[in-house]
Amino acid sequence: MGLRDVLTGRHAVKGPAPDRLFAISTAYITLQAEHQIDPAGSAAVVFQALATSDFEATLRDMEEVVRATGGDSGTTVATEDDSYGYRWMVLRNPEGAPSVEDLAVGINAVSSSIETAGHGERLLCAVFAFVDANGHRVYFIYNYKRGYWYPFVPDPDPAHPQQRMTERELQLKAQMSSEMPIEPELERWFPLWGIPI
Amino acid sequence: MAAKRSSFGKDNGLQARMLLTIFLLGLVYVAFIGVLFAVGAAAGLIVVVAVVLLLVQLFASDKIALATLGVKEVTPAQEPELHTIVERLCVQADLPKPRVCVMETSMPNAFAMGRSKKSTTVCATRGILELLEPAELEGVMAHELTHVINRDVMVMTLASFFATLASLILQFAFFFGGGYGNREEEEDIFLIVIASLAVYALSFLLLRALSRYREFAADRGGAVLTGRPSALASALLKISGTMERVPSQDLRAAEGMSAFFIIPARTKKSLLNLFSDHPPLEQRLAALQRLEAQLQGAA
Repeated sequence: MGLRDVLTGRHAVKGPAPDRLFAISTAYITLQAEHQIDPAGSAAVVFQALATSDFEATLRDMEEVVRATGGDSGTTVATEDDSYGYRWMVLRNPEGAPSVEDLAVGINAVSSSIETAGHGERLLCAVFAFVDANGHRVYFIYNYKRGYWYPFVPDPDPAHPQQRMTERELQLKAQMSSEMPIEPELERWFPLWGIPI
Repeated sequence: MAAKRSSFGKDNGLQARMLLTIFLLGLVYVAFIGVLFAVGAAAGLIVVVAVVLLLVQLFASDKIALATLGVKEVTPAQEPELHTIVERLCVQADLPKPRVCVMETSMPNAFAMGRSKKSTTVCATRGILELLEPAELEGVMAHELTHVINRDVMVMTLASFFATLASLILQFAFFFGGGYGNREEEEDIFLIVIASLAVYALSFLLLRALSRYREFAADRGGAVLTGRPSALASALLKISGTMERVPSQDLRAAEGMSAFFIIPARTKKSLLNLFSDHPPLEQRLAALQRLEAQLQGAA
């Protein structure tokens, strides 16, 4: 941000960074083979839904595209609004046939159609769900603004709402940093509570 | 980026006025320093004192203010909603997460402090948390985070630096000016006092104008960040409606902080907009309304 922006108080909302979304479609192999963390068969993209007819039309077109591309693999699409006003586009593999590649293609179709419509700065994150050997959820979150991935492991104990297993996340960082671009600044490992997958 | 279509237009008029205000401020200070040099006063010492004051203002004022206001940092477990809203806005604005604080008062308000993106505190009062819906609270926090992005604390502190300097010289002159020295020195001191008075009066008005423009810019930046100008407008309406009903003691206690609040705490309405550090509510609502119209018309 330059001096002129500081003086005028002007700044644009940052758009997406160079795309490193597809890092997940190779990294999951290592997760599965070496760390016993299996794909849960679902992924989601979260964004700010503008309340304009233009944006709604974009979303409808996008759902069509994802349905069409997911048709062969049987991937389904569902939309969900959370209490903070963000919209989740949830993609699910057919039962018993989790495919991270299919999900990554679908998520990429969603984000690139939002970008093509000129609303790339509204994209927040993509989330891929995994299950570890103990049956607990492990998420990998892709931050569109930064182009980095980071692990997010919510505490499975219902007595500890909104707490995360930082130790586990740091282990995952050590295990996976050669496989995918992991966010280097820990203070940007923003949690996402209430992930619908 | 440049080729991409944006949902919101530009507001060149606002930026032009802001630059003009900053320019005029600078002009006044240059003239002021010129007078100081011309009279050859022992200005060096005074400038050193003022610079020290400036540094204190930049590096410690947030801590002092937070300590005296009784603001408490809250954990995500204590205030999950506020933390979630701030976190998502930080992702959206590509900011590191600031410290999140709550001030236990029924007056609905919010403010941001800190000189840089790395050392920032955002604070919401208990009143605003209870009053607003999540989308409205998000609009308010986006406004505050935009102050952080625009480095408004830094800009306002630097802009008020010379006003501080002028008032310092005023005080020095009043307390130590009379009683000693020869006639010529007394004339010099008289000149300094006149110059300081003029600088103080002018910079006061200009600083207020600058602050108002930066409020507009923060409204705009916040609305662009969330993509929901009307949510912020609705929040402003709700807050201002409640502001008039809260007990005045609370307001007086908070008056010193008012430059950083989203809606200023006031015991009575200012007669002249010229002296206000926040633009009038109707103008802020109108600006947000224009943004919403631009957004809706972007199809």
